Amino acid sequence: MIKAYGLTKRYGDRTVVQDLDFTVHPGTVTGFLGPNGAGKSTTMRMLLGLDTPTRGRSTTGGRAYAAHRAPLTQVGALLEARSVHPGRSARSHLIALAHTHGIPRARVEEVIALAGLTDAAHRRVKGFSLGMGQRLGIAAALLGDPATVILDEPVNGLDPEGVLWIRTLLRSLAAEGRTVLVSSHLMSEMALTADHLIVIGRGRLLADTTVDELVRQAGGASVKVVTPQPDDLRTHLAAPGVEITTAATTTATAARTAPLHELRVRGTESAHIGAVAAAHGITLHELTPQTVSLEQAFMDLTQDAADHRSQPPATTPPAHLTGAAA
Amino acid sequence: MNTTTPPAATTPTHQAPPYRLPSTPYRITPTRILRSEWHKLRSLRSTWITLTTAAALVLGVGLIMGGTYTSGGGDSDVDVVVLTLYGSLLGQLCVIVLGILVTAGEYATGMIRSSLTAVPTRLPVLWAKAAVFSATVLTVMSTTALTTFAAAQLFLHDTDQAASLTDPGVLRALAGNAVGITLLSLIALGLGSLLRSVPGAIGAFIGGVMILPEVLGMLPYETVERALTYFPTQAAGALGSATPIPGTAAPGPALLALCLWAAATLAAAALSLRHRDA
Repeated sequence: MIKAYGLTKRYGDRTVVQDLDFTVHPGTVTGFLGPNGAGKSTTMRMLLGLDTPTRGRSTTGGRAYAAHRAPLTQVGALLEARSVHPGRSARSHLIALAHTHGIPRARVEEVIALAGLTDAAHRRVKGFSLGMGQRLGIAAALLGDPATVILDEPVNGLDPEGVLWIRTLLRSLAAEGRTVLVSSHLMSEMALTADHLIVIGRGRLLADTTVDELVRQAGGASVKVVTPQPDDLRTHLAAPGVEITTAATTTATAARTAPLHELRVRGTESAHIGAVAAAHGITLHELTPQTVSLEQAFMDLTQDAADHRSQPPATTPPAHLTGAAA
Repeated sequence: MNTTTPPAATTPTHQAPPYRLPSTPYRITPTRILRSEWHKLRSLRSTWITLTTAAALVLGVGLIMGGTYTSGGGDSDVDVVVLTLYGSLLGQLCVIVLGILVTAGEYATGMIRSSLTAVPTRLPVLWAKAAVFSATVLTVMSTTALTTFAAAQLFLHDTDQAASLTDPGVLRALAGNAVGITLLSLIALGLGSLLRSVPGAIGAFIGGVMILPEVLGMLPYETVERALTYFPTQAAGALGSATPIPGTAAPGPALLALCLWAAATLAAAALSLRHRDA
């Protein structure tokens, strides 16, 4: 269980994280989502006591991280930036961490095997690929068999097999009842891994919700219907939970005598709408299920909060025209 | 609903009961942090390279001094331990760099984040580093001093620089040499932790500890000159001489001054470690 109470971090006059309140529950994978620069890493560093919040506080397992007598058994963390001396072997790195808590050598070998590093463990980390570095970071995170696992962008640099491995690992850690907080700037990745989502943008909490709820809120799961008889359709579709809005109206043309209405129907399926229309002799010109992609839902949510947003070319004159530095 | 479900949606895992921490004997203790830091120090190649180089420089220069010495030459009035351990001026540079690597090296590589996540109370990490490092340096440098003295005497025994360990001040000066280097390198370790940058700390040590006193020494004030004898490098020099060198501090006050310098640097490093974001 992770709790954040009004976490705020300011560097000079730049506020990186502002008044974050959230709870990460055990037993599920919670995705920590936000565009680059949203404050995800800073928040995670505050949870681990590496950065001191300007205001607010956080607890893991009911206490401030630094107050635990065996912090590695409470929280295992993989930070985004590499946190290993490249001159040491993977095994040596893990042994050094294990020594601080009296964690036996057998456990070190266990996490080496778990992370798939058995063949590389004796090699210096200097020669590790990005993916192997991530695997070592995850081995270190699991070293103390922690109740809470915090991983910052764990799939970065991993090959497809590694990505799958992380997904499976996170799910099994959560299934064991552990608290799992995993950050990403990729909505699609989170959709495959997380059940719950905490979305931040520009350091503020934007959503604390489930994946399904996020899509629903973003206006997903609707059916586009184009018909010249909107009133008939409305009457016959009317039911609790069904919501019909008019999206557009096309005026009559020479080819068509009646105006066309584009409706957006929520709360029922296209098959049902088609059946109702057929039963009552209502003409349909179009019947299309609409899905809002998770990426779109995420983009909509973080639209105003994105730090490094790519602008449409028309609104941003090229640097050489304005003379501004990139 | 099947058509409206986003293709990437997840099936939520059923809520598992909260994880119960297995009761393990895992816990942070000071001894364990010491063990961890000792493992860190010895598992890096740079440790053994710098220590071996330091020892080799001291021994090598000592053998050259002994082998080329002629009685009654220009060095006759030089203290026997100072003469024998001339090489420690070079050797201490290696150890100073190692001291900086022990702390600033962790910031350069990012290892510090792992270290402080494992020991979030932070200060014990600094104390353990200082303890393990100084014990290692003291062992290596005192062994080197003794060996170099014995080896140089093989050449010097029939000259006016013939001496034995039992001669007044000799053993004290040999130990003083090693203690002096150890304390100087502890200052370096503190500077490394304070400045968090290997080149920055090396620059600060060379500029602030080695060159600044020389510049101040050119000032025509006697008070400054007297104060300078208690500066780290001068105090360390005074510790490593069997006979008192004119114009330097006595061994006792020199040792005290050097300890205070090291303590002050470590205290500043501790303050910074405690309050700055890692």
